[in-house]
Amino acid sequence: MDATQEVPAGRRLRAREIGDVLLEVRDISLRFGGVRALSNVSFDVRRGEIRAIIGPNGAGKSSMLNVINGFYQPQEGQIVWQGEPLRKMRPHFAAANGIARTFQNIALFKGMSTLDNVMTGRMLKMHATWFEQMVYLGRARREEIEHRRYCETIIDFLEIQAHRHTPVGKLPYGLQKRVELARALAAEPQLLLLDEPMAGMNVEEKEDMCRFVLDVNEEFGTTVALIEHDMGVVMDISDRVVVLDYGELLADGTPDAVRADPDVIAAYLGVQPD
Amino acid sequence: MDLPDLERFDTLPKLLVHNGTQHAAAVAMREKDLGIWHEFTWGDVLANVRTIALALTDLEVRRGDVVAIIGRNRPNWLWSEWAVHAVGGLSLGLYEDVLGDEAAYLLNYAESRVVVCEDEEQVDKLLELGDRIPHVAWIVYHDPRGMRKYADPRLIDWGAFLARGAVVDASDPARFDREVAAGKGGDAAILCTTSGTTSHPKLAVLEHGRFMRHCARYLERDPREPTDDYVCMLPLPWIMEQVYVAVMSLLSRIRVNFPESGETAMHDMREIGPTHILLAPRVWEQTAADVRARIMDANRANRWLFETGMRRGIDALEQGRRDWVADALTFRSLKDRLGFRNVKSAATGGAALGPDTFKFFLAMGVPLRQLYGQTELCGAYTLQDGSGIDFDSSGLPFTEVELRIDHADANGVGEIVTRHPNMFRGYFKVDETPDVDAEGWMHTGDAGYLDDAGRLVVIDRLRDIATTSGGDRFSPQYIENKLKFSPYVGECVVLGDGRAFLSAILCIRFQMVAKWAEQKRVGFTTYGNLAANAQTYDLIAGEVAKVNESLPPAQRLRRFLLLFKELDADDGELTRTRKVRRAVIDQRYAPLIDAIYAGTSAVRMDAEVTFEDGRKGTIDALMAIRDLAADAVEPA
Repeated sequence: MDATQEVPAGRRLRAREIGDVLLEVRDISLRFGGVRALSNVSFDVRRGEIRAIIGPNGAGKSSMLNVINGFYQPQEGQIVWQGEPLRKMRPHFAAANGIARTFQNIALFKGMSTLDNVMTGRMLKMHATWFEQMVYLGRARREEIEHRRYCETIIDFLEIQAHRHTPVGKLPYGLQKRVELARALAAEPQLLLLDEPMAGMNVEEKEDMCRFVLDVNEEFGTTVALIEHDMGVVMDISDRVVVLDYGELLADGTPDAVRADPDVIAAYLGVQPD
Repeated sequence: MDLPDLERFDTLPKLLVHNGTQHAAAVAMREKDLGIWHEFTWGDVLANVRTIALALTDLEVRRGDVVAIIGRNRPNWLWSEWAVHAVGGLSLGLYEDVLGDEAAYLLNYAESRVVVCEDEEQVDKLLELGDRIPHVAWIVYHDPRGMRKYADPRLIDWGAFLARGAVVDASDPARFDREVAAGKGGDAAILCTTSGTTSHPKLAVLEHGRFMRHCARYLERDPREPTDDYVCMLPLPWIMEQVYVAVMSLLSRIRVNFPESGETAMHDMREIGPTHILLAPRVWEQTAADVRARIMDANRANRWLFETGMRRGIDALEQGRRDWVADALTFRSLKDRLGFRNVKSAATGGAALGPDTFKFFLAMGVPLRQLYGQTELCGAYTLQDGSGIDFDSSGLPFTEVELRIDHADANGVGEIVTRHPNMFRGYFKVDETPDVDAEGWMHTGDAGYLDDAGRLVVIDRLRDIATTSGGDRFSPQYIENKLKFSPYVGECVVLGDGRAFLSAILCIRFQMVAKWAEQKRVGFTTYGNLAANAQTYDLIAGEVAKVNESLPPAQRLRRFLLLFKELDADDGELTRTRKVRRAVIDQRYAPLIDAIYAGTSAVRMDAEVTFEDGRKGTIDALMAIRDLAADAVEPA
């Protein structure tokens, strides 16, 4: 009778099906001078899934995200976005095609309010000229109202209404992370890249953030690729996990498979579990 | 304004239909959603209630059935309640933060078939109960977020629910009017949970006619107009919010405003600038504490303005006049900042508010009045009239309310006993009403006396009035309220019944003490860590010493400890309306209390705590016990 009771503890029932491949990285190699940040890394991200990228410090996780949204240009390899192979990903192409991200070190406009920060996430969707915006007429007014409404639904979704008009620099760290997520969501992304969304948070903030990531995935159908150190979080919320170590792909699979992989245990967790 | 004819409109839905047709275009309520205030006219409200009511009939809610409602204060909550009444049902409001066990108890007690929920959080709670709530056939939910994963056949989404109502309306357009017309003034309307400081809550049955007539009595004392505004901030299941929102808004057509969320409520209130407010004592205390916290951060000039204004204001208040300098320089802008600028009548009730907090707001020019009442008596039945200098009474009883003091001692203090023609019918499904005698007098269990002007002064719960082993009688609540006026003290429990001296378990007001610690460069991590700090102890000891000065020597606190956690309703230490459950405290913290009276200087305790999601954990804490010099201050 009760569908929730059949789900084993710690596993969630998926509300959405996982679809076809949204993004694929093929044989990506990235070097900074003599330093090999990534070597022949290949994996894919499917529509609707939550994909985790894990690995020890310096494994190349953030570099990988930077390659995906075009911030770094790999020397070798290919990115396939929705079946279309690209020689190079460019940041503006990524943004215009629905790839949004948050940063490991929060990158918000500290002096601007929460609402204004979230509104910047809609920039690419505004078409009014600077003159129209200045006099706030016609198209500019219409767009402003429409985008404000969308931003407000995101603010409501992430429960930051009380901080709507607060300059984000004054907000505690956990909330700033949430504002950054809100800004990324305001762009209505197909693929959301989260660089350590729970870093530096206490248990309660982490639980909230997990909830939000799951809700975003479920309600908006947004595909999520996230980097995270907290293994509990990774195992709980992700569908598949990529493990990087020294810039190389160490393992790729479901959380359970990855957890049982002896290479991963040796390299990442360091100890043999009982 | 003239109140409607309650002979003609003898039920809440009849009055709603009247308002919805005669005043269809007038604004009845507003809700802030996505940052914008949306208005609903009486016509809109009636149309919504009509659809919801017919949808309920389609879920086979029949006259006399109970429908439970749980969620945040929103127009939907109220519309659902009125819709239940329209089809002759009984509404039962559950507190939003009710835990599973409590919810199961109440739903089974009321045999509720339909539960109207706001969102996933509430639905989760009910689904986790599994087959423990066998009467529930339908769970209606309003917010679909996070609901995709459920496939429980009892669930029905708000849109689908309303669609059922629309179908009924189309096939039988006269159904709604027939249902409303079938209601009688003597029908039961509302099941209201009693606060239950000692046991499981009981459900008081309130009838349409009586409840409306009683609220009309209230409005005679404290009238309101259709152009007035009220902000709905207290939990809707609470009797006084039912009085103000579910009944008085129909009688007086005062506009009810629903804030966006609990967190934004104070800010939203400022945007509305309400004319009438009712807040729980703890909210008044918190507001006063916030003001003082912000003053601590202010520059020297502003601090001087505030302190001077406050001093002049309180002096003037005690002499029964107003100080125009203080009004102009301090209070005008302060009231505006707090959203109290337009307030014509403010009330506090549910528990006692300390006289110092009371004076703080009166000095500011907020016409704050103390009310007193019980769920069984349809809420408040005494209210200060707002005139004269009166800091401790709860005012005169309303018309038709009889009040007497039983077993009065030499000072006239005894049990408050009362009755009026519009009180509750009885408890739901229980034949006995142990507190009501054969002549209909309700024995409230509260201690109080009538002053020279016949005004009621409430002291404390009768059974809480304590006596030390030396034979000195004292009211723990009176001393607790004095302590809670300190910006650094959040909650406290004064002990000493049957003991040689008085002592207290205190909870720091984390927000304020944390700010103080920052300024004093006292390092801390968590609440428990800060509460255990020796410098925090010094700070609180100073605050307690100040209170001791104002107390007779036999009632002074000799020892205290700072609890490692805040008292919490989830742990059963407070009621949902945040009254202290003394029996629970005595039992739970017996080792602490024993240590205080054994004279030890510290005590260790393993305590079980309940988290918001219902999980339990244990905390191991070491707490110091601080001695205060009882004879340090001689009475003047």
